[in-house]
Amino acid sequence: MSENPSIKESSIQVNSVLLYPKGGKPSIIANEWQVWNGIEAEASLAQINQDQKVLAPFQWWLSHGQAQAQDPDSEVTKRIQKKTIGVWFAADEDILKHHEVIEAGKPAWALVAADFPIFRDGRSFSTAALLRERFNWSGEIRAIGDVLIDQLVLGARSGFDSFALRADQNLDMALKQFDLFTVTSQNSWRDRRSQLNERLNGHLSS
Amino acid sequence: MYKYDYIDQTLVNERVIQFKDQVDRRINGTLPEEEFRPLRLQNGLYHQRHAYMLRVAIPYGLLSSDQLRTLAHIADKYDRGYGHFTTRQNIQFNWIKLEESPAILADLAKVQMHAIQTSGNCIRNITSDAFAGVAADEYVDPRPVCELLRQWSTLHPEFAFLPRKFKFAVCGAKEDRTILLCHDVGISLKKNENGELVADIYAGGGMGRTPILGSLIKENLPWNVLPSYLTALLRVYNRFGRRDNIYKARIKILVKALGPEEFARQVEGEWASIKDGDDNFQQSEWDRVAKHFTKPTYKTAEQISTEDLIQSALENERTAFARWLERNVKAHQVPGYASVIFSLKPHGSVAPGDATTEQMLAIADLADQYSFGELRVTHEQNLVLADVEQAKLLELWHKAKAQNVVLPNIGLLTDIIACPGGDFCSLANAKSLPIAKAIQERFDDLDYLHDLGEISLNISGCINSCGHHHVGNIGVLGVDKDGKEWYQITLGGEQGNHASIGKVIGPSFGAEQIPDVMADIIDTFVKHRTADEPFIETYRRLGVMPFKEAAYLNRSKESTTGAVV
Repeated sequence: MSENPSIKESSIQVNSVLLYPKGGKPSIIANEWQVWNGIEAEASLAQINQDQKVLAPFQWWLSHGQAQAQDPDSEVTKRIQKKTIGVWFAADEDILKHHEVIEAGKPAWALVAADFPIFRDGRSFSTAALLRERFNWSGEIRAIGDVLIDQLVLGARSGFDSFALRADQNLDMALKQFDLFTVTSQNSWRDRRSQLNERLNGHLSS
Repeated sequence: MYKYDYIDQTLVNERVIQFKDQVDRRINGTLPEEEFRPLRLQNGLYHQRHAYMLRVAIPYGLLSSDQLRTLAHIADKYDRGYGHFTTRQNIQFNWIKLEESPAILADLAKVQMHAIQTSGNCIRNITSDAFAGVAADEYVDPRPVCELLRQWSTLHPEFAFLPRKFKFAVCGAKEDRTILLCHDVGISLKKNENGELVADIYAGGGMGRTPILGSLIKENLPWNVLPSYLTALLRVYNRFGRRDNIYKARIKILVKALGPEEFARQVEGEWASIKDGDDNFQQSEWDRVAKHFTKPTYKTAEQISTEDLIQSALENERTAFARWLERNVKAHQVPGYASVIFSLKPHGSVAPGDATTEQMLAIADLADQYSFGELRVTHEQNLVLADVEQAKLLELWHKAKAQNVVLPNIGLLTDIIACPGGDFCSLANAKSLPIAKAIQERFDDLDYLHDLGEISLNISGCINSCGHHHVGNIGVLGVDKDGKEWYQITLGGEQGNHASIGKVIGPSFGAEQIPDVMADIIDTFVKHRTADEPFIETYRRLGVMPFKEAAYLNRSKESTTGAVV
């Protein structure tokens, strides 16, 4: 357990994340990012070691972060320079309402994440898709929260390329999920629906 | 019909492997039931009152004879020798063992079938007109669009955990045979003035506890942009559909809350940014898929008049054969051909829509002999041979008789649509099958049934409305009060082009009263009907009052419950 009570509890025990870059291979890497719930408002960000990479709630960014980012001496500015700050979007966040804030935030954030408050809540799949399609976010998008093995294929195709799985999930089994499907039947962030041209030219017909 | 290519087959095979792994993890305890549940539901596997139930997709209702044989084999090997055809062009097996479910999927995959997305909060099996490609009133054959949408929606990554289930219907004929307006999205295909294929999109329809007819939200959408438009639509629903209350999580509630205009505006806003992307279908994809839906090699044949057909039968068979021609044989696009409906509603049967292994095998043979090896499944839970030579109708009738599927009750009072109800379903508040059986036994006189003409009677065992009671001319809904089963009657519902939701007539009845109540309602109709007026028109002319009075006359308050409306 972290000594800092404002670290999002469900994520503190996540020591490893699954990284699956577009066009690359999946691997397990050490998790360097802590998810901060932002409840203690502006004061508490300073309590987190400045070298610690922190994902702040997007709502906190709206109310405090973006203003501090204008101040060259602020905690936020220092973190932007060190690339130790990013934001996470709650499942119910309407990111399209904050187009300008997100566009302005893109150069500042080293990482963005979208939360799964419970695995059955699929809103963050659309959030990831919108970040890729509408905001052309080319950096990493991390799935956080109640992230389970059986959602990885869906997440990877919707726009996520890293996954902070729930602490009890088996990472070896997680790594194998991406080998399950060699074909797709609709376009996604990662693939065009399977080898469309080959299919149409009949090269693959059985 | 559509034949899987390497990609379709690989996807279904890989899905079998994925699901087997999930089942293995469930059985060895590493995947808890709570987390397995949505996964198995996305593969049509329910846990019901007695056992697991597997719901298999019959996309847009089209089956080959070999596929039907495989379903018969599954019924025989893994179940109790029968399957249940549902109101959404699926077949359900009621007595499945969890550990055997991957083997069933593997058997299905061999004949290009699957159970993907027949349940769960995702895009469900896409339904269409059972007479697609042959109906005399068709503008456009909807099946290539259905198949392309089947592919687009299969394992769609963004929409596997929607707020609730999501149902598409696609229609391309003058008469709607899909209950288009009772779907989350109804796609009405037509040709525009330039002869191009376009779609009108209806959204926000559905039955359940809040029945609502869908609203037109987009007109003349070019067919090829359906993927981007539907992505936009589903994205709005995924993001803003309610998740706090499962009864308010359907898209109909969102569309109603926003208003259809505002909902359409939001979809349009989302679509504007993706409409020109590479999601959209290409003409070459259409060409690849559509070539599987060309016409079979029909013979050149003269149209035979009904009178001549009847005369071809032996004298003592003529009345029965004529009735069958009238009710179970439908007009075809091609002269000399007809479509035949096999009734899965023999009087006194246990469950509307049930077919035994023996029936399925025999019907598969009949499809091979008389209808180019293909069949259709209707949402009324009957089977169709779509392409039968008129000259062979008598021969087919004789052979089909042996399977007890020629009862000439299609569209009549005993062609009852019913869900499995409390006998099987763990959601049900009341049984529906014994009610259907009792009504069929009460109205067993075929002459009388034919005189009554078209009447739809739909029974649901709970408010989820799987038996589509809201759109039955007469609807029966099972309700629970103080642990007892009661039945609420609605009148005036209708499917088709004049779709309407029935009205509750008053307090519910006990199960034993339902046949008498039906008789009183029918007698009232007979008393007031003019000439050959159909039930629904008499009802619309008179309103609910005379039917209501007849239903409650001679029934004491103790035998009805006033509490449920």
